[in-house]
Amino acid sequence: MRFVDEFRDAELGRALAGEILGLVEPGRHYKVMEVCGGHTHSIYKYGIDDLLPENVELVHGPGCPVCVIPMGRVDDGIAIAETEGVIFTCFGDMMRVPGSRGSLLDAKAQGADIRMVYSPLDALRIAKRNPDREVVFFAIGFETTAPSTALTLKRARAEGVPNFFCMCNHVTIVPPLRALLDSPDLRLDGFIGPGHVSTVVGARPFEFIPADYGKPVVISGFEPLDVLQSVQMILRQLRAGRCQVENQYTRVVPYEGNLKALQVMAEVFELRPHFEWRGLGFISQSALALTEAYAELDAERRYEVPGVRVADPKACQCGEVLKGVIKPWECKVFGTACTPERPIGTCMVSPEGACAAYYNYGRYAREREVV
Amino acid sequence: MSFCDHDAGCITCGDVAVELVVVAVDADRELALCAGEEGEKETVEIGLVEAVRPGDALLVHAGTALQRIEGRA
Repeated sequence: MRFVDEFRDAELGRALAGEILGLVEPGRHYKVMEVCGGHTHSIYKYGIDDLLPENVELVHGPGCPVCVIPMGRVDDGIAIAETEGVIFTCFGDMMRVPGSRGSLLDAKAQGADIRMVYSPLDALRIAKRNPDREVVFFAIGFETTAPSTALTLKRARAEGVPNFFCMCNHVTIVPPLRALLDSPDLRLDGFIGPGHVSTVVGARPFEFIPADYGKPVVISGFEPLDVLQSVQMILRQLRAGRCQVENQYTRVVPYEGNLKALQVMAEVFELRPHFEWRGLGFISQSALALTEAYAELDAERRYEVPGVRVADPKACQCGEVLKGVIKPWECKVFGTACTPERPIGTCMVSPEGACAAYYNYGRYAREREVV
Repeated sequence: MSFCDHDAGCITCGDVAVELVVVAVDADRELALCAGEEGEKETVEIGLVEAVRPGDALLVHAGTALQRIEGRA
């Protein structure tokens, strides 16, 4: 038996769904936001929302780091990638995110040396193998990938690799959550907390949600039973009139997180005063930049970048999708002008983007309903 | 050119975390050779996890072990 099988057991899933049904009050509509794109992916892939009562609505949050990258940052990356002598490296999903003049993949087709890597360590290896070239790693992700970038930068410095640079686009999870909670057009009853971000930051950073906003948070794993159990735990809290941070994902999330990872991040990164999020606008102290101590590895200081803010395409409603105000299929271009093959908005790029997840899995069930 | 597999999830945030089992440890360089479910091998940074030993199961994101998976060693 694979480790995950026990978290995909259909009988247990049905039993949990029955217990959830017993927890909801008739006539009350529950809106629960899954913060993380990984949960969105699981929900559509396994049809978890079909197991929930009709009055329990799952709302997709902003937790896909590919989806929140604004067009201007893509343009900046392309400008670096097109610099003579540069090998530009990034994760695969990032290559298809549209900038104002095309994607990194388009720039690659036009001759830029852009390579997909699975980890920043791979990018460092490319730098060591190509000492006559400058290698730039386009770092993105929440606190899940930021420690990996930080360790790689430390390693690059310790090993004296002079041709490795990082364009840092790492973002942090708490500021957008606060921005969402302060948003007047959104009413939520609770949060399914991000499981793997929490392996690093722990559960403590989410305590402000019950303390300041009176809403429950349950840190959740990504298997179907994890998500169902987390919904059940949120509904139990609501039923009992409680609100607190609970940890469903105890098999990998310690309450205090990974202190070593947090230390390494604090050594290498500092908070940017503000950072633009696609669809959400500028959010204060929501992203990371390299500290002064790592200035010589900072691609943004080494290369000229346009640094221009580019408005999101008018037709695209990623912002509303990221805030959970509309469902993916309610966007005007969903599934027609905007598809995973030819995305207009970033939510259609990553498999964890709400639109791509829905396009790949959920739409079939909906099409059946419509027919 | 391959992209993230829509069935496997996105490596960017690694939400479908990779569970790998440690095969060999290079403690001086804080690296471990790890194996996946299908036996595929990968070099993993282990600088953020205490006292990694062969046989340990690790939660790996973007080439870095973030936590040991409890009850799997």
